[in-house]
Amino acid sequence: MHALEVSGLTKTYGSALGRKQEALRGVDLALPAGTSFGLIGPNGAGKTTFIKTLLGIVAPTSGELRLLGGSPKDPAIRRRLGYLPERLHLPAFDTPPSFLRQIARFKGVAWDADQIRALICRVGLEDAIDRRVGGFSKGMRQRLGLASALIGAPELLILDEPTDGIDPMGRAEIRRILADEVARGTTLFLNSHLLSETERICTRIGVLNRGKLVLEGPLETLRQPSPRWTLRFAEGAPREALLALGFEPQDTGSWQLEAADAEGLNVKLDRAREAGALLVGLTPELRDLEKVLAEAMQEAA
Amino acid sequence: MMLFEVALQVLREAVRRRWVLALFIGITGMLLLLSFTLQLEVVDGALAASRLFGKVLGIGAEDAEVALRPLFAAGSALLFYGGLLFGIVATADFAPRLLEPGRIEHLLALPIRRWQLLLGTFLGVLVLCLSAGLYGALCFTVLIGTKTGFWMWQLFGSALLCTVAFASIYAVMLGSVTWVRSAATSAALGGVMFILGIIASNRVAIAPFITEGWGRTGFEAVTSVVPRIASLGLLAAHPDLDPERLAQLPTLLVGMGLFTVAVLTLALSNFESKDY
Repeated sequence: MHALEVSGLTKTYGSALGRKQEALRGVDLALPAGTSFGLIGPNGAGKTTFIKTLLGIVAPTSGELRLLGGSPKDPAIRRRLGYLPERLHLPAFDTPPSFLRQIARFKGVAWDADQIRALICRVGLEDAIDRRVGGFSKGMRQRLGLASALIGAPELLILDEPTDGIDPMGRAEIRRILADEVARGTTLFLNSHLLSETERICTRIGVLNRGKLVLEGPLETLRQPSPRWTLRFAEGAPREALLALGFEPQDTGSWQLEAADAEGLNVKLDRAREAGALLVGLTPELRDLEKVLAEAMQEAA
Repeated sequence: MMLFEVALQVLREAVRRRWVLALFIGITGMLLLLSFTLQLEVVDGALAASRLFGKVLGIGAEDAEVALRPLFAAGSALLFYGGLLFGIVATADFAPRLLEPGRIEHLLALPIRRWQLLLGTFLGVLVLCLSAGLYGALCFTVLIGTKTGFWMWQLFGSALLCTVAFASIYAVMLGSVTWVRSAATSAALGGVMFILGIIASNRVAIAPFITEGWGRTGFEAVTSVVPRIASLGLLAAHPDLDPERLAQLPTLLVGMGLFTVAVLTLALSNFESKDY
């Protein structure tokens, strides 16, 4: 079953002067339930518009959209999802328990004080449990926002910049929480400018550029179209022979080799071994997400 | 029901605000001041003397019920007009805060329908306005009642009429926020409605002063749909008016009700199709 299905989704904003701006230009996406998906792209790519359209906050101009098998306009569907907006504004006079109790009431979830307290502790706000939200830092607000998204054990979590303003230790905590949720079977839809965060949390990536999903697929596939390998040989490896075989020395003492497939790689390795080089390490050369994004942008341009 | 849940949330937020506390402290303080300074001497059912801050108010000995009527009329008018003005100023930022970026998206992603959000806010603000009015009416009635032994319930009627009038004004204020999210615009439109409501109540008397033609026609057209705030205020202050005037009350209330429903329908239609 798909947690999210989008086909031919477009959104065009019109101004009072009649000027039109295409924010989404035919986005297609299908996410199986339980996927952790990361949406990346440059500023103004339409990421937030896409998320808002998914939630029914912004009405699409055309296209089809299904969340958890239904329409996001249906409150019964919205009850099954958790959302954290990019800039969550919280009522200043609330304390974390009163805010979360209210969200639980809105979601129709009968949570008692102990469950609310446990959730507050889970997002690391136990020391601020009696404080008013008005005095919270940005990171604390994000944590409380995440807690509100987690109320009612949602089947789909849509998070827009969840770690924005959170310190590195806090980010690790948030990552653990999200990993736990994914392990529970929750589908995660994450929008983050922090590519390293996305890389660590998500198993599937989509690149949005100028309102179009220009690249989408499993993270490992996107990161590894390069036929390059990093190798380490035991001390005393014959440098000249390796150079003659096409191995490239690196500053770190390792070597790199380009091989189109497994057979080509093994042929070169056999020859290196015949020349007296003993292999002690072999890792595929993975591109980081920054490179994936840059290449996708370049191709789209 | 979600509608009432939203209204309750509006009330919860309101009571946590300083101005609501200030409102209730203000009403209580004013009435306490009156209770200490207003001296009413009733002898055998007649008002013998009344003093405010030690000064005799110049009312001769007369039937207490008759003598107290101006006091209640003044109290009712104060409650009606004061309530409206305070309501306009105090509630102008309610809806804009609810629609603030970062909050409205969060609310709309919850299982709340848009109409529930808008009408829940409307309901919550009206309950707040009614509570403040009834509190003031209760305190004032108890104050005069315990001092004179005469109990008049006129102020409660005034509080109710004030809420009805405020409903029509707040509908415009709330509706405006679905187009322009601004507390200042909302308050300004509330003020304009308040003044237009007074003008509309006297449209028949004012119309002859406007040159005949499109000007007068325009004036009559605009004021024909505006709620008659001052007419309702007059009835709130003087419920003992002649029966002919009192007979206007149902028409006034129905007119205000229709105006409120029409404005809210327009606002809802805009809110339902708006992107946030």
